[in-house]
Formats: sequence, C-alpha cells, structure tokens
Amino acid sequence: MAETQQMKKFKTPSKGTPKAKHPISIDHHIAPQTPQSATPSAINLRRSHRLTAAFPEHRPAISSFNTHQSAAKTRKIFENPPLVLPTEISITPASPPPVESRKKRKFHEKSAEKSKDSRNVKYKHAADRKVKKKVYYKKVVYDGGEFSAGHDVYVKRRSDASSDDEDPEVEECRVCFKPAGRRVLIECDDCLNGFHLKCLKPPLKAVPDGDWVCCYCVARKNGEVMEFPEPQAGKKRARTAREKLLSSDLWAARIESLWKEVDGTYWFRARWYIIPEETAVGRQPHNLRRELYRTNDFADVEMESIIRHCFVMSPREFANAADGGDDVFLCEYEYEVQWHSFKRIAEIDNNENDGERVVDNDADWNSCDEFDSGSDFDSEEEAAYEDKKRNRLSQLSSLRPVAANSRKGQIFGLQKIGAKKIPENLRSRKQTDLEKAKSTLLLATLPKSLPCRDREMIEITTFIKGAICDEQCLGRCLYVHGVPGTGKTMSVLAVMRNLKSEVDAGSIRPYCFVEINGLKLASPENIYSVIYEGLTGHRVGWKKALNLLNARFSDENKCRKDTRPCILLIDELDLLVTRNQAVLYNILDWPTRPNSKLIVIGIANTMDLPEKLLPRISSRMGIQRLCFGPYNFQQLQEIISSRLKGIDAFEKVAIEFASRKVAAVSGDARRALEICRRAAEFLQNRKVMAGMADVEAAIKEMFQAPHIQLAMAVSSFCANNGETFPGYDTLLKVGCKLGECRLLLCESGTRHKLQKLQLNYPNDDVTFALKDSKELPWLAKYI
Amino acid sequence: MPAFAALRQFPSSDPTSETIVAVTPRKTRLRSDSDAAIGSPLRKSPRLCKEGTPHSSPTASIRKCLKTSLNLSGSPQKKQLSEDFVERQNWNPRVDETQRRAANEALHVSTAQMNVVCRENEQNRILDFCKKCIKEEKAGSLYVCGCPGTGKTLSMEKVKVMLADWENEECIQYPDVLPINCTSLANMNDIFSKIIEKNHSGKKRSRSTSSLQQLQNLYSQQTPGMKMILVIADELDYLITRDRAVLHDLFMLTTLPFSKCILLGVANAIDLADRLQDESVLLVLEYLFLICRTTLETLIVACFHPKVVSSLQSKPMVITFCAYSKDQIINILQERLRAVPYTVFQPQALELCARKVAAASGDMRKALAVCRSAIEILIGDSMLSSLDGPEDQHKPAENVSMSNQVRIDHVAAALSKVYKSPVVDTIISLPQHQQIILCSAVKLFRGGKKKDTTLGELNKYYVDVCKSTSIPPVGILELSSMCRVLDDQGILKLGQSRDDKLRRVTLKVDGADIVFALQGVRFFRNCLQ
Repeated sequence: MAETQQMKKFKTPSKGTPKAKHPISIDHHIAPQTPQSATPSAINLRRSHRLTAAFPEHRPAISSFNTHQSAAKTRKIFENPPLVLPTEISITPASPPPVESRKKRKFHEKSAEKSKDSRNVKYKHAADRKVKKKVYYKKVVYDGGEFSAGHDVYVKRRSDASSDDEDPEVEECRVCFKPAGRRVLIECDDCLNGFHLKCLKPPLKAVPDGDWVCCYCVARKNGEVMEFPEPQAGKKRARTAREKLLSSDLWAARIESLWKEVDGTYWFRARWYIIPEETAVGRQPHNLRRELYRTNDFADVEMESIIRHCFVMSPREFANAADGGDDVFLCEYEYEVQWHSFKRIAEIDNNENDGERVVDNDADWNSCDEFDSGSDFDSEEEAAYEDKKRNRLSQLSSLRPVAANSRKGQIFGLQKIGAKKIPENLRSRKQTDLEKAKSTLLLATLPKSLPCRDREMIEITTFIKGAICDEQCLGRCLYVHGVPGTGKTMSVLAVMRNLKSEVDAGSIRPYCFVEINGLKLASPENIYSVIYEGLTGHRVGWKKALNLLNARFSDENKCRKDTRPCILLIDELDLLVTRNQAVLYNILDWPTRPNSKLIVIGIANTMDLPEKLLPRISSRMGIQRLCFGPYNFQQLQEIISSRLKGIDAFEKVAIEFASRKVAAVSGDARRALEICRRAAEFLQNRKVMAGMADVEAAIKEMFQAPHIQLAMAVSSFCANNGETFPGYDTLLKVGCKLGECRLLLCESGTRHKLQKLQLNYPNDDVTFALKDSKELPWLAKYI
Repeated sequence: MPAFAALRQFPSSDPTSETIVAVTPRKTRLRSDSDAAIGSPLRKSPRLCKEGTPHSSPTASIRKCLKTSLNLSGSPQKKQLSEDFVERQNWNPRVDETQRRAANEALHVSTAQMNVVCRENEQNRILDFCKKCIKEEKAGSLYVCGCPGTGKTLSMEKVKVMLADWENEECIQYPDVLPINCTSLANMNDIFSKIIEKNHSGKKRSRSTSSLQQLQNLYSQQTPGMKMILVIADELDYLITRDRAVLHDLFMLTTLPFSKCILLGVANAIDLADRLQDESVLLVLEYLFLICRTTLETLIVACFHPKVVSSLQSKPMVITFCAYSKDQIINILQERLRAVPYTVFQPQALELCARKVAAASGDMRKALAVCRSAIEILIGDSMLSSLDGPEDQHKPAENVSMSNQVRIDHVAAALSKVYKSPVVDTIISLPQHQQIILCSAVKLFRGGKKKDTTLGELNKYYVDVCKSTSIPPVGILELSSMCRVLDDQGILKLGQSRDDKLRRVTLKVDGADIVFALQGVRFFRNCLQ
C-alpha cells in the first residue's frame, strides 16, 4: 500500500519520453514539431506512464496528437482508420458548427428530438436507395487522436473560448512555474496542484508517506489567507484540462458510438460526465477531488469539439492508477439527471449479482462495528484502496475515519464476458402476429396505456402535485393497498413518469424520487441506508444513515432553500414492520416534522395494515388511503385487448372467457395475461387465431389443482397392474411413490406392511380424476 | 361497525344500490341540516362567485384581517367566534390558490404552534416541576403519558421555550437540554453515551468503563460546578428491553445522591411508571439478596435499607394528557385557523368534526387530517359544480361566500373516509369464488357452535356449495391462496400451520355483515337460507 501511495506522490522525472521511445509517431506527421514538444524533459511521466499502461496501442497516435495540439490548430491530419474505408479529407479545416453551451444544446436536443425520428426515417430511405448514408465506425483517427467507442474525452464547452486552445501538456510547479524537469513534483491531495519539493516552505527532503496537503491548503483550512504566488508579469498561468474540467469550463464525455454524417463530418454520441458540483446535492464531503458522475444524458456532438483523451475509471482501476497522470478521474456512480438520484455503476452493470452482494454487504454492516469494518477485505488491493480513500477522507473532512463508499470497486466474476447482446439486425425477422401477441402479453412488457385505473391515477397525481407544487411543500403520506396483480406499483410508477415529463417541461419544480422495495431489503433497518444513498449517492451504515436522515428531515434551524421535495415510494410496506415498529415510526414521523419536504407513498397488500400498527404510528400515517380493488371481467378484458391492440391473434370470445374465469377467482391481471400467453403458446404451430379451446386448456393447466393431474398420471402408471395382483413388494413401491407425490400421507418408518396410509386429498377429487380413465374402465365401478 | 349499523336501517334488495344508500342518506340529511342553518340553497355558479366577491383582492382581505385580529385580541374567546364568522368572508379557494395553501398550511401537522391551547394546565405543572428541580439543584423524574395526538411532544417543546424565558428572567444558569427521540436510537444503551457527551463534552472519555457506569460514578460523588441536564426522552417505551434494564437504569440515575439529571419521559402507556417502580423494587431486593446472601430475616431488615426506600420513593411524578374533548378540539382548530385571514369552516362543520374525533379517539392529528381532506373535497366539489352549475345564477350574493366555506357535508364525507368501515363494500367487490368461500364460512359458523375451523373443513363446505349450484370448484391450493388474499384484506384470519389443510380459519368480520352484503345476489340468498 505504501508503495502505491508513493508512486502516486511522485511525479518522477522522466526516464525517457514517449517521443524518444517512439520516433515513428513523429514520422507520421506533417505537422511541424513545436519547441515545447521537442523538449524531452517537459514530458510528465505521470501521463506517459498512464498511456503505456492503459492504451499501449494508442501511444503513437496520442503523443503525436500532443505535438499537434500545441501547434496552431489550423491543420488537421486525418489518418485512415484501420478499420474503415479510406476517407481522405482535405487539409482545410472543416468548419464545425459552434458547440453551444450545454443548456442551449440540451434545449436543442429536446426540440430536435421529435424531428429525430423523421430524420432516422430519412436515413433509412437513403439506405434503401443505396445512396449516401451514415457510416458507423469502431475507431476513428481524428485530429491526430485515435478515438473509439468506450473512450472518454474532454469536450469543449464553448466554441469561442480561446482558453481551450492553450492546453499545457506539462504540469508546472505551482510556485516556481517551471515544469517538473528532473525533479520530483508532489501533488497536494486537496487542491491537486503540483509542487517541487524544493519550492515548498519548508522544503521537503523526501516525499512523505501517507497523504500530504500543501501549506496553502492547510492555511486555508485554518482560516488564514495565503495566496498562491502570482506568476511573473506577462506570463499567464495556463490551466490544465483537468483544472478546467473541474471548474466546469470543459465537459467530459464517454464516446458511445462514432459515425460519419452524410456531409462528411464526424460525429459521436456522447454520454456526459458531470462533476459533483453540478449535481443537485452539490459537492459533498465524501467526494474525492477527481470524482465524476456518469449521467444518463446523451447528446450527439461533432468530433471537432473533442479536445483529447481523459481516463475515467472505476474505483478499483483508479486505485491502481496511482501514477496515472493528470487526466485520470474516478467514476463510481451514475447520476440520473431526471430523478437526481445516484446508482452504483457496478450495480447497473451486473444486476443479477446484485441481490446477493447487497446481502453480503449488509451482513457486514450489521455485524461489525464501524471502526473495524475495514478488516475483512477479500484482497490486499482492496484494502489498499480502502485505506487510501479513508486517508483522503480524513483530510478532506472531519468525518469519521471510515470511508463512506468503502465497499466499492469490487469486481465480480466474469459476467461481462460472453453475455453479448444479439445485434438488432440478426433479430429483425418480421414477427408474426402470434409472436407479437406473446411478447406483449409478457408481464415484463411495459404496456403503452394503462386502462381501468384512471381514477386511482388521478388521485395519486393530485396527491403528489398537491404536495410538491406548494412553496412550503408540506409532508404527506399515502397508503396504497389492494390485492396482488391490481396495478398498484404500476400506477404509481406511471404517475411518476408523467410527472417527470412535466418536470422536463418545466411546469413542476424538480424533486427527488427514491423507490424502495421492502422485499429487497436484507433487514428493515437497511432502508435508512438505502434512502440515504438514493438521496446523496453516499453509502453508510444504517445507524449513521438514521442519524443523518433525522438531521436532514428535522432541521428547522437551518432554512435550506436548496432542498428539493423528496418522494419516497416504499413497495411492500408491511415488510418493514419490526417487533417494536421503530422503522415505520421513524419513516412516518419525518413527514410530520416542519420543513421535512418528504412525501411517503406506501404500497402493501393488506387492507388493515394501519389498524394493525401501534396507534402512535397509525396516527402519524394520516388518513389518506387508496384502495385498488380486484379487477372485474370487463376491466380484465379491456386490459388484455388494449395490450393486443392491432394484433390479430385472439378471438374476442376467448379473451372474454379468460377474463371472466380470472375475475371469478381472483381478479388478478397478471394471471389473466399469463393465461392468454399460455393459450398463445398452445397454438404455436397452427395458423389460426387462439380460440376458446386454447384458453380452456391454459386455464385448466393453471387452475386445476396439481394433485388431480398427478392422479391421472399415476393412474396410467398403475394401469398395468390391471387384473393380476402384483404382490406386496410392488404394492409397497407404488405406495411409496404415491407418498412421495404427497397423494398419500404415509407414516414414516420401516414397518412396511404395518405402515399406516391416509389419503391426502378429498375422496371426491380422486373419484373425479379416476372416473374417466380409459385404461381402467372397471375402476369406476369400485368408486 | 358503523357501516353495518347504518346499513341495517336501510334494508333493500339490490346490493349495489345499497352501498350507495348506506352513504348517501346521511349525506343528504346532513346537507339539509346545514341548509337549514344557513337558510338558503347552496349551489351556485362559479361566475357568480367571482362577481360576488369583488373585494377578494389580497390587500383588502389583509386589511380586514388585521382589523379583525385587532378586535379579537382583546375580546374573550367565546364572543370572538360569532364576530369571526360575520366579519371575514372572503375565503374562496377556487379562485385564489394562495388561500387554499394558507389554510392547508395552518392545518398541517408539522406547523408548529407557539401557543398551544388547551394544555396550559399540564404545561404549567411540567414547568413548575422543572423550575423546582433547577432551583433546588435536585434531580427528578417526570413521566408524561397520554394517547397519540394529544400534544405531548408539542407541549414539551413549549415547555422548553418557556423554561428558557424563565431562566433569562431569573438569571439562573440554564441547564443543558437534551431532547432524544428514543425511536431514533440504534442501540438502547446509546442514550447514556448521549447524556454523557452532553454532560461534559470537552473532557476526555475513558473507553474502559461503559457510559452508564461513568454516569453513575459521576452522579454518586460530589462534583462542584456541574451543570444540570434536562433530558427529554420521547417515546420512552422504546427503551423497554427484555429485562427493562435500560429504562430502570435511566430512572435510577435521577435517584443517585448527587444526580443533576432531570428526566422528562414521554410515552403512550399510562402504567409505565408503575410497572417501572415494581420492577425497580424487585431489582433492588434481588441485588441486595445477592450481595448479602442473606436469610429472610435480613431481607426484611433490608427492606428498610436506604437504597430500597429511595427506590420506593423514586416513583416518578406522572402527568397524564387526556384525550381531547370536543370543546378542546374546536378550540384548537379555531386557534389554528386564526392564522388564516378567511373564514374557512362553518362553525357547525368544525363542531361535527370535533365531536366525531373526540368520540372516537381524541386524536388531534386525525382531526387536522379530516379538516384538510374536507377542504380538498370542497375544492373537488366546486370544480364539479363549476362544470354543470351555471343555470342557477340568480342567487343572493352573500350566499356565495358562505357556500365557499367548508360545510357539514364536506366534513361528513371526510369523516366517512376515516371512520367508515369498508367491509361491506369490500365484500361486494370481491371475486365470485371468494364470496362463495365467505358464504360457506358463514354457513359453517352458523348456529354459534364453532368459532373456527380448518382449511380442509372449509374446502369441504365450499365444494358442497359449488356443487349445489353446479359451479366448478377450484382446487384446494387455489382455495388456500384465495384465503390468504382474504386474510390480507382483513376478512378472514388464517392461523399458522405447517400443513396447509390444517390451518385454522376464523372470520374476522361479523357474519351478519357478510349475509347483508351477499343477500342481494339470489344465488347467495339461496345458499344462506
């Protein structure tokens, strides 16, 4: 660990520059070498190290790009990308449309979104006629740099900013403004500035162990004013791209795809990163200086606005890239722009592993004291990362020594290998009506419209709007109940989706939305840490989270204007009932505090949950209830036919039959959909519409109790016992088999002949099952 | 079971019409009541209401409200009311969004009121107790109990403020105040560490001894210059552990010779203090017994041991917050509504709300929630009437503002949302097979011989009922899952058993309710006869 840290500290003098190592890259170029790039001592090893480590194949391209960049930006060299057709482009620079500031661009995006569809259609037409079309590339060499999907780049924020051009490749000492040279630059962990050991006061002899904060930052923390030395007159201090990014003068983006437009310009689809200051909660004490958030916001950007590469890494990579250079960033969370909530990227990437991992984590959180939670790491590397992060934290803030996101950066298994998505064009065979019907009837399919729950949805909408539209935003609580499969969760989520579009349109104030399913919690208390993580993107143990949430929702002294209203959706609320019901008490008590701005929506099946709770809790729960009754058959019919709209696969009678059957038993929409889907599967091979018979068969399969089916099956097994008596051993065997199927209840033990038997199911059922068996017509006589 | 009682008065044959009947006759009756009170028709057009309230401009209303509030501040309360309702009449939530908002805010639970009415007596007792303790520099404990929503926590806040004022006047050193909500403690023993942190935050904490021991040491020897500490523990009963050690230790802290701790405990349970005392005597005796290894004689002597005596005397003083009475609820609601410069509620409406809530639980939070939802109902109503009510335009102008107030029927509708039992409606909306299950359960329990049965038994009856009407019955697995759904809805109660067939089934609603709900369908009528 100490080693890695030292590595990070050192901006060791270069043992040889990349340029010297790879003279070929220079040969590639028409561009004149600039004096800056020619001085070998100027190259900062940090960056070069990084390059060799991460992108060995890019080394020539990027270093050449560096040389080029420092030259006047008039010439552009386009190398032929190895994978695509040669596209030689004239040296005259293509005039790119100016990159507007982000807000503007976003706005355009939105307004252009509608027209996008039509544009796509246009392209499709173009493709049909085999004329010019968008060409997608895996890798593009543009402006000297080699870019491919998945790379992270700096993107210009303004087109006219002259400061974008001056991009110092070399980090200078903050005091003497000389490049590192042969001497060691040490990086402050707070302000990220580099310093010569000798320039410091008092000068350091060696790089210290552990984290180090420069004297300026120390002074600032103590409340003194200590200015950085001004550069000599006439010489302006050039800011590095990293500095510009962190002061939001640049963007960072991830390239999702690259293509050439019809007019020859290169574009890429960018997934934006944002710095913590730009999130709704702002920079928080646990954020590292180099931390970025990945957003779910995309935009198409011309490649002209790319400046160069940067490297955004997962926490684990970041921990190993201690000497990675100046353009290394850490990204651990994805920030949802609409909801202002955070999700861990690792969780998004391997969702299926998620459950068990959370359980593991939570177990740790519960079992061990917070002070020794660092002791059970799986590998040393993680421990190193952990310690480092902790050290940094302890300096950045006066938080407790345990880092918040301490359990991050783990890599799990090999899921990313092999599970490749099947490309769309391989599956583009036209679906038949039946297949379409089957896919829309799947429970996972999100229906386009939600019929039959209009009244409830209006009620939920007015509830939420009434709460968040007001200035003061009074806390509220709504309890939604109803039998399973009646669209409770779906309606609430649909309402939230509608509201989101209204937020986008600007007619509603933005708010946070945290969704929790009680079943997914390892223990009820964990809900605190889940809520806190959803609100701030910061994972802490539940005890701490409880304290922090208590402070957040009850703070009346500090009139924090910036807090948004927060909507908390808790599915399966009844699982939060603990022995003393403290969890529910706390959650339902927050909305009754002044200035809490919290709206709680609880969903559960039980109708009388509030009555079952302690009176002090039901008193805080308020009286707002919303009941989702079971669907009747007209509603089920409407739901199915609205899903099947435009698909000609079912007879109308068949749908009615299915919905009547389900409505008579449970009124569960999921079940009705399943029956119809099963019916569609039954007529797989026939080219007809699904009719009554198929639905009947599906219903039989679903509703008929398994024991009847089993008895039928077993009867055929017994059939060969027909007339001749097979003897006791066979009888015993048959008896055991029936016992295993739980048709018979057998006494356990080895008493064989004396074993007592009992029929597990009512006689009538057995009679019914055996009545029509064809092999044993004589059986009916006995019964 | 209010729903059923109401239903019984209106027997009829059709189930769907019945449910409506069950709600509406009361509603219409109430409406007519309020009509009589006002003496004029209530419906009005939206246009009229705009014309009718020409001075609904904010400045005018504010001026008016200022005037009224000046008037009011001098006069005694009973008189104010009538004046109130005459003078401020500009309430019109439909036109003015801010008015609605203001009313909503005034009635919200979280709006802290600084003048808590109707609890002056209790507050003064608590305050006197605190003053006495602080003056004499003596420890003490006080236990406040009462039903939820009776203003306990609010009063504590108020006492805190009053205490601060008093200390400013008297120039007495203000004690440290430590408000704790015991539900937010992750570990019960944290309460001691919180106290000790507050007590001497600057000094070092030794890690070897527990916080409790430290506190005990601290309070059993004289330390000059130590400040008093006032611990306000809300929801005290969350501290009850299996052996009650935490709660006991907490109260015993106040009995130590040099204790500086004033403990104010708040909880619902009325007998917590008594239980505590019994426990404490037992614990002390047990403790002595262990130490002395005595015979019975010495034990009797031990009963006069100072420690036992002190623990017998240590019973905390108890102040009970009774549930609010009707008059108190009216008083509080009016006090809150005074913050709004409009007349929002008709006096009768407030009274109905107060009477109902007082009769049921006396829970102020419920009363506030009812009032807020009544306002919402009013707004929803007026939205509807604005769609279809332009025909009766010729109405006297003064009624316009009256009709904008929350009337008795609105409050009644809101109350019915809270207190009406939804059983009959639920049963009617159940799927057919679940109704058959209920029907067979009623048949099974008829005659009062049995109170519960097993699922297998119920299945038998259910199959019989189905057979008699040639409906194909569903299997027993399906039946048990349907029973689980009914259990969720609170109609049946399913016991626990390893075997599905042996689970106990009990009806949680009255059989008569089911009969009533199902008698509209001929099929079930035949079954149940």
